[in-house]
Amino acid sequence: MTLLRSPQPPAGRKPPVGLTTDVPTAPPPEWRFRRRLHPGALFHELWGARTLVRTLAEREIRIRYKQAVLGFAWAVVTPLVLMVAFTLFFRKAAKIDTWPVPYPLFAYVGLIPWTFFSTGVAQGGLSLVNNVPLLNKVYCPREVFPTASVVVAGIDSIISTGVLLLLFLRYGFMPKPTTIWVPALLPIQVMFTLGVTLVVSAVIVYLRDLRHALPLLLQMGLFVTPVAFPLDVVPQQFRKVYVALDPLAAVIDGYRRAVLYGRPPSLPLLAIAAVSSFVVLAGGYAVFKRLETGIADVA
Amino acid sequence: MLPSGSISAVHIWKRFHADRGRRLLRDQVHHLAARLRGGGGRGWRWALRDVELVAAPGESVGLIGSNGSGKSTLLKILTRVMYPYTGSVQVAGRVGALIEVRAGVHPDLTGRENIHLYGTLLGLDRRRIRERFDEIVAFSELEDAIDRQLKFYSSGMQMRLGFAVAAFLEPDVLLVDEVLAVGDANFQQRCLERMRAVLNQGTTLVFVSHDLAAVEAACTRGVWLHQGVREAEGPVREVVNAYRQSIEAAAESAITVSGELRLVKVEVSGPDGGTARTQAPLDIQLVVDSPAARAARLYLGVSEGPATPIFVLRRDLSLAAGETKASCAIRSLPLPRGRYYLWVGVFEGGKRDPLPWHPATHFDVAGPNLDVAPRGIVRLAPIHVDTAWELER
Repeated sequence: MTLLRSPQPPAGRKPPVGLTTDVPTAPPPEWRFRRRLHPGALFHELWGARTLVRTLAEREIRIRYKQAVLGFAWAVVTPLVLMVAFTLFFRKAAKIDTWPVPYPLFAYVGLIPWTFFSTGVAQGGLSLVNNVPLLNKVYCPREVFPTASVVVAGIDSIISTGVLLLLFLRYGFMPKPTTIWVPALLPIQVMFTLGVTLVVSAVIVYLRDLRHALPLLLQMGLFVTPVAFPLDVVPQQFRKVYVALDPLAAVIDGYRRAVLYGRPPSLPLLAIAAVSSFVVLAGGYAVFKRLETGIADVA
Repeated sequence: MLPSGSISAVHIWKRFHADRGRRLLRDQVHHLAARLRGGGGRGWRWALRDVELVAAPGESVGLIGSNGSGKSTLLKILTRVMYPYTGSVQVAGRVGALIEVRAGVHPDLTGRENIHLYGTLLGLDRRRIRERFDEIVAFSELEDAIDRQLKFYSSGMQMRLGFAVAAFLEPDVLLVDEVLAVGDANFQQRCLERMRAVLNQGTTLVFVSHDLAAVEAACTRGVWLHQGVREAEGPVREVVNAYRQSIEAAAESAITVSGELRLVKVEVSGPDGGTARTQAPLDIQLVVDSPAARAARLYLGVSEGPATPIFVLRRDLSLAAGETKASCAIRSLPLPRGRYYLWVGVFEGGKRDPLPWHPATHFDVAGPNLDVAPRGIVRLAPIHVDTAWELER
């Protein structure tokens, strides 16, 4: 055995336990731990964790609906209720003209991506805080938790898209052939949602009161984003700035044009939104990775 | 790249905020303002200072130390749950960790779902988990409860599940933190057996426990942490013994003996006043000072350091006012070679003990070493037994 500190005092009382002189009180700064992050290695790790994302998503769905009477219907209830509310109040008060598209359809098409975004951020934003017991014990790439929440939000979206088909039947309206644009819009929506979710989930660990502010912020987002009203409400000269700040505006406008009005999305706006979303995702991921190292210390 | 199953953590420093207050926006703003004004920010508390832990594949290391010595923090850094302030950490291979009793378990899911979740967290694919599933359930004895939500499990059941999952999903490195305490005696023994089996498969083990006997049984090497600093490192028996002795030293300096009686003199001597020897007579002399004449019950205990004695001797005495001399002769000392502590106490039925239980002195015993128990078998206390073996063919 090697005694690593100064020999014990020979006999009798031990001196009061305190800092020993053998070990300096602070480490030399050049030993500072730096985590090296290579994009390739990160991607490899994430790819290795795909089963984990799947398991976590399944778990979240199970937990969410285990004690809920309506079960999966909840995925549809939120957009439907908002649609009815918008139809009853917003249209009458704001006199929004959506001709030739029935207003409920117009609102619902906007509500699907919005609900995806807001449930993703609301659930994913809390995913780290809610899993603190797990985070404190087991290693895994932490981004799997918010990612799994976004996946769950995506599953909800698929269900509510099914309801959209029923609504089309109800109003005797057919989606236009330009619907093929949808796959081009989807990645922008996902990138933006994931980026925001990552930032929120990490920041909320450090600033717990953001948890209370989050629903409010999301509610305000609903009115800032053209969900209940068309993008035309925003004056032409501000539209590019607007879309850069809120890429969802371009995405929702794009869906409406393509699915309901039979026109291709506005490409300049779409390009701005795509760049902006990518910046949000990349920046959000960087922030997340930066904050991730301290999560176990404060949680 | 290190071979799978090896651990290399060197120059590990870790600090925490000295004030673990609320994490609210206004606190952050406050701190930021203090920093900008040049207040120097807030204080830090070092939890680990220049700690090193290196283990080869298949090695088993016991981490011991008193509460708050940084054992769990070090374990968390090894699992990559926490990041160190300085140093480098490399743990090669799959890490199975059992920290704070319920590693990787989620209260809202059933036992079955938890096994799958934890398996995926360990990086196993679903097929491998299914292969191992029945073994895990059988080991944890949860056949009837496996489809029940975990929040309805008792703490012992949760611990059993946690241990079974961590130990059966074939980790290359197994980190176990103070978990056996929750299980019943039978399960503790099976845990130790399982750990031995896992070690035989070549898994590296890092074991944190306050149960020194279990550490001695499971590990070959010991690391003793004291207030975030490595105090000693080496063969587990020596390190554990050194730690035991420090416990005694701490107890000796911490206990202010506050009773009516006073122990004036304690002397332990072997044959002819020399060193104590195994299976030789031992003489204990005490002088007790009492303010008044009284009846009292005197206890003597011999321990390896902690307050739990190997054996206890009792004698009812009547004390005179002033000093009373008592002597006790042990005819044949049943202790193997080592350092032992003599604890003394005087008790009676009353509210305050006349002389509280405290270590009075220590003595060394010369003689044969104790036979070492096989790995995974817990020996409670050292006793020398005179033996004669005979073999017939």
